[in-house]
Amino acid sequence: MNYPVWQLDFFGGGFLIAAIAVFHVYISHFAVGGGLFLVLTEMKAYRDEDNAILEYVRKHAQFFLLVTMVAGGITGVGIWFTIALLNPAATSVLIHTFVFGWAAEWVFFVIEIVALFIYYYSFGKMQRKYHLIIGWIYFGAAWMSLFIINGIIDFMLTPGSWIENQNFWSGFFNPTFWPALAFRTFFALLIAGLFGFVTATWIKKETLRVSMTRFAALWLLIPFVLFIFSAYWYKAALPADIQEMLFERMPAMTPYISGFIWISPLLVLGGLLLAIRMPRAVTRPIALTMLIIGLLYMGCFEFMREGGRKPYIIYDHMYSNSIFTNDMEQINQQGLLANAKWIKNKSITDDNRLETGRELYNVLCLSCHAVGGPMHGIEKLTAGFTPSGLDAMISGMDIFHPYMPPYAGTDEERYALAYYIAYGLNGRLDPETTVPVSKKRIAVPTFNNDESTHVLLAWNTLGMHTISDTYEHWSLQAPGNNVYAQLILRGETPEVVTDEVVLNYRVESAFSTPADHVHFWDSSAILFGNKLEPNTGLSGSKMQGTMTQEDGFFLADQIPVVPYTKDGYDPYPIVTIEAKSADGTLLATTKVAAPVSTEMGCYQCHGGQWRVENKAGFTQTTARNILAVHDRMSGTQLLAQAEAGKPQRCQSCHSGQATETDGSSAPLNLSASMHGFHSAFLKGQGAESCSLCHPSSPTGATQSLRGIHNEIGLDCTSCHGSIEEHAMSLLKGEADKGQPKASALAQYLQPYVVTPPDEITARQPWVNQPDCLNCHLEFEAPESDSTFNQWTASAEELYSNRTDESGSLFCAACHSSPHGIYPAANGYGEQVHTIQPLQYQGNTLPIGSNFNCAVCHTVEMEDEMHHPNMLREFRNQ
Amino acid sequence: MDPTTLIPTPDAIPVHWGWFHILLLVTFTLHILLMNIMLGTVFIAAANHFTRDGAGSPPTKAVAEKLPFTIAFAVNFGVAPLLFVQVLYGHLIYTSSILMGTFWLSIIGILIAAYYLAYIYKYKYLQLEKGRALLTGSICIMLLFIAFLFSNNLTLMLHPESWPRYFDSPGGLLLNLADPTIWPRYLHFIISAIAVGGMSIALFFTYKKHTGDPEAAPWIKYGCKWFAYATFINFGIGAWFLGSLPRGLVSMHTAAGVFFVIFLICGIIAAVFAALLALKERVMPALYSLLTAIVLMILARDMLRTLYLQPWFSRSELTVQASYSPLLVFLLFFIGGMALIGWMLKITFQNTDNQEVQS
Repeated sequence: MNYPVWQLDFFGGGFLIAAIAVFHVYISHFAVGGGLFLVLTEMKAYRDEDNAILEYVRKHAQFFLLVTMVAGGITGVGIWFTIALLNPAATSVLIHTFVFGWAAEWVFFVIEIVALFIYYYSFGKMQRKYHLIIGWIYFGAAWMSLFIINGIIDFMLTPGSWIENQNFWSGFFNPTFWPALAFRTFFALLIAGLFGFVTATWIKKETLRVSMTRFAALWLLIPFVLFIFSAYWYKAALPADIQEMLFERMPAMTPYISGFIWISPLLVLGGLLLAIRMPRAVTRPIALTMLIIGLLYMGCFEFMREGGRKPYIIYDHMYSNSIFTNDMEQINQQGLLANAKWIKNKSITDDNRLETGRELYNVLCLSCHAVGGPMHGIEKLTAGFTPSGLDAMISGMDIFHPYMPPYAGTDEERYALAYYIAYGLNGRLDPETTVPVSKKRIAVPTFNNDESTHVLLAWNTLGMHTISDTYEHWSLQAPGNNVYAQLILRGETPEVVTDEVVLNYRVESAFSTPADHVHFWDSSAILFGNKLEPNTGLSGSKMQGTMTQEDGFFLADQIPVVPYTKDGYDPYPIVTIEAKSADGTLLATTKVAAPVSTEMGCYQCHGGQWRVENKAGFTQTTARNILAVHDRMSGTQLLAQAEAGKPQRCQSCHSGQATETDGSSAPLNLSASMHGFHSAFLKGQGAESCSLCHPSSPTGATQSLRGIHNEIGLDCTSCHGSIEEHAMSLLKGEADKGQPKASALAQYLQPYVVTPPDEITARQPWVNQPDCLNCHLEFEAPESDSTFNQWTASAEELYSNRTDESGSLFCAACHSSPHGIYPAANGYGEQVHTIQPLQYQGNTLPIGSNFNCAVCHTVEMEDEMHHPNMLREFRNQ
Repeated sequence: MDPTTLIPTPDAIPVHWGWFHILLLVTFTLHILLMNIMLGTVFIAAANHFTRDGAGSPPTKAVAEKLPFTIAFAVNFGVAPLLFVQVLYGHLIYTSSILMGTFWLSIIGILIAAYYLAYIYKYKYLQLEKGRALLTGSICIMLLFIAFLFSNNLTLMLHPESWPRYFDSPGGLLLNLADPTIWPRYLHFIISAIAVGGMSIALFFTYKKHTGDPEAAPWIKYGCKWFAYATFINFGIGAWFLGSLPRGLVSMHTAAGVFFVIFLICGIIAAVFAALLALKERVMPALYSLLTAIVLMILARDMLRTLYLQPWFSRSELTVQASYSPLLVFLLFFIGGMALIGWMLKITFQNTDNQEVQS
């Protein structure tokens, strides 16, 4: 933020530092351990009075000199050059904090060079005693270099009390200093053994070759035992949060951790193998392979150490992208553009959004994510996201990906960043906010006020209903909306008729073969344990049939409607209902829409695209990616199982049971899980967050929120709360059942309306819902336009189960389905949503409003027998 | 765009800036001497091989033997001043390094290559014959290129007004070529290095003469000539450099301006003496004059940096978060380390059967 960013793109994301560092670190450890190897081997030669060994030491010293001084020394400077280029701010902190540490290290570097030159070039010319002293001085200076660099490197991982006191010594002798020093010292010794193998196996004389190879094996094997102990000590010294991050929460670390674990025995076995007498042609390749394995070993360790530091470059002090932890608040308030020095565009316009996004990317992301390159390449990681999807992801990325720093900047800047990545790099755009839909024409059945004997009212309880057409991979819900109907015999005292009548239903013919459009019937046996005939619903309902007689009403349960015809997407299939007497006389006919939608914008974050008409439906890409994310985040194998022919049903795990059969805590119920997880990415939004996943957008392909509440300006949040609040109420319901995962998810959320969070009322999905009477107290005009946090006490109190005061007529019979309360209208027109008011009253108002008791009553009514305050002019005409 | 807004905020320093200034000047002097010996001698060796169709001569043999050492120490003694320059001017030099990042990082690869070629030159000197010219020529070109990149970086850091070019070229491919001082400055340093290379050859053969080498005398003259003629050329280059400085930069109203002129004039006088003494093959007096000239020129260079940075930054602006104990520990290590090195060298000379290293 303080410095320009070297825009490396392909080589971004730390490629250069990784390439140089692993190489250098390997050689520099060799430079320490190898020093001791030289002196002790020389002593052995003197002890054994063996000139051949001495000659071996001399040659090994030459090899050592050429490797450590040239490649090792210069790559050390190279690392310094590289970190200063890639992360100048952190380098500056390290240089300014530890300048005299570095300076002291330089002194030891000078001593090393002088000592090593003297050691090698005076070999055989200097008195043995002094030659050995020079060797010891070399080793001492090299180890002191390690001592100092170790302090500074481990400061970055565990700065300890330096964070508070900024004291040189606190930072240097930090909590992991001593275990790390032991670890690196033993590492250095065993690496000396690995390099010893290389020079030893090149000895021509067999007896010497074998004995020196065995000698090198001791260098590998003896320190290895101590090395493993020090590794445990090092791990134990790490603070708990770093251990958790490294070993539990970073899937990207798994290969390095496994690599480290697997290579350990491999090194031991290799060392033992080389101790066996074998021809050179065999031992040389093994020795070289061991050297490479050692490099990989070191690489695994260094990647783990760097990984443990995430999301910081200096723990608790500076994030990986060079932003000081202390600066976050200011940047979030004022914006990154206002705070970063090396950004050209100081404000975002439509014209410069892409360019500014690129600048923001350079500052915030490029240090870890290459563009088109191998190191955490951003295109692949974000391939599934649209700009808005990625914007949401970035807003909460640090919560479920704790190795990522929290986003720094304003919302506007975040969108520009997301736009650059999703559109600029991946070519993905947000969906059109306004989807063209056309009015649906219905032939409204006729009703003769004077002659008709019956009134047939019909509705459904799933007024906003979605299915995911992803049945090859998984199922959120089976296709199936239900149609309720009540047949009323008109008269002075009308009655609800159920006996000796038959109600038949018939779905609009264009929708009569849903199996042509979704793969549900291929998977129903696996998903629901029920092999269904094509075009038959879970309850056995077909696309036409006879409604079942229930207690005071008729029901066609789970008619498997899908929103597709051969002509495309239509979320409002019309169901025609005919009531006939026992002798077959037609008593009444009406129609009702059975809404069903596949307008779920999962693809905005999970890849793929709309499947149908660029406005609805799931592609298999989206379906697969969702399982892949679930597998990655929760350690499941869902995708593999689905691809193997076993599609997954969400509720089979997310069932809402508090515990598994073995007593362990079960997954959260589906609503709590979905909202609890996704709300972390959608914080601070209004109803637009709802319409990312539900078909509630007033300009979308379905426009399910079509009732009067939509017309007068209410939205999802008016009744359900913001997504955070909605999630918190569901999570609290799960937490009350003793679900620790629910509390873990809720801790990231803050309510707006109800504070403190404790005041949120727990609820169970589909049982505890907003109650109409919260606002419509005593059926009067509401005084409030929001009712979050007051729920129906039980399923009986739900709007869809409620009846009038007579107890015989359902609320929905006169007011229609939830979300489609009369008078309803949307882009599909008003006719499709108000067939019965149009049929019986010639208007779109609730049945019986405006004193229109005559729909059913053949005499004028004076009593408000259905509910109070009903005998009046409709308020919102 | 106002370049001032681009200058990063520097970090606090642990002791008064004067400490770092002194450490910077001292270690830079050592580095420039070693770097001059490295570059100057390999340049002369290359010139010698090219003019003799690759044939060797005593000075080229000496250069071949010593080149890996001089590279090692030139690099090693470059670490310290690069550290201290980062402490005082880190916010400037990190920035300029990033602007030329691709070039800057290439130094590492080029240096490793040159270093290994130097070992080949050393160990394969006898077998190489005609290849020597090519080899030394290659090493020389590599080192010259590195020097050129250093000249660019150390001047680019002084010119925040040229930094906004980054916005059109963020890929680390900028240099400071638009600066009219870049070429004379670079050549001034290079010719100095060649002069010092000549002087070190003269010194080496003076030493050989003292140890009884009968063939050393002509090579003392050879080294002295290189030194003197290079220095004479450098007077011209220096004048070009001086003339290329921005008008009004060296103001006699500032202490830095006055000291710059004083150091420069004294430095020139010392260099004239050194060159004249060298022509008379009075090697040791010439050496002392040369060292005086180098110290004065480094001080002049430092004043010039202060003058360049006047509109942008002054060392006294740096915040001090006092912490003197690490300095004390460093000084102890430094003194102890130098004593240890002295002891090692003493032991080596006293206890080695043959002080000539094998090639």
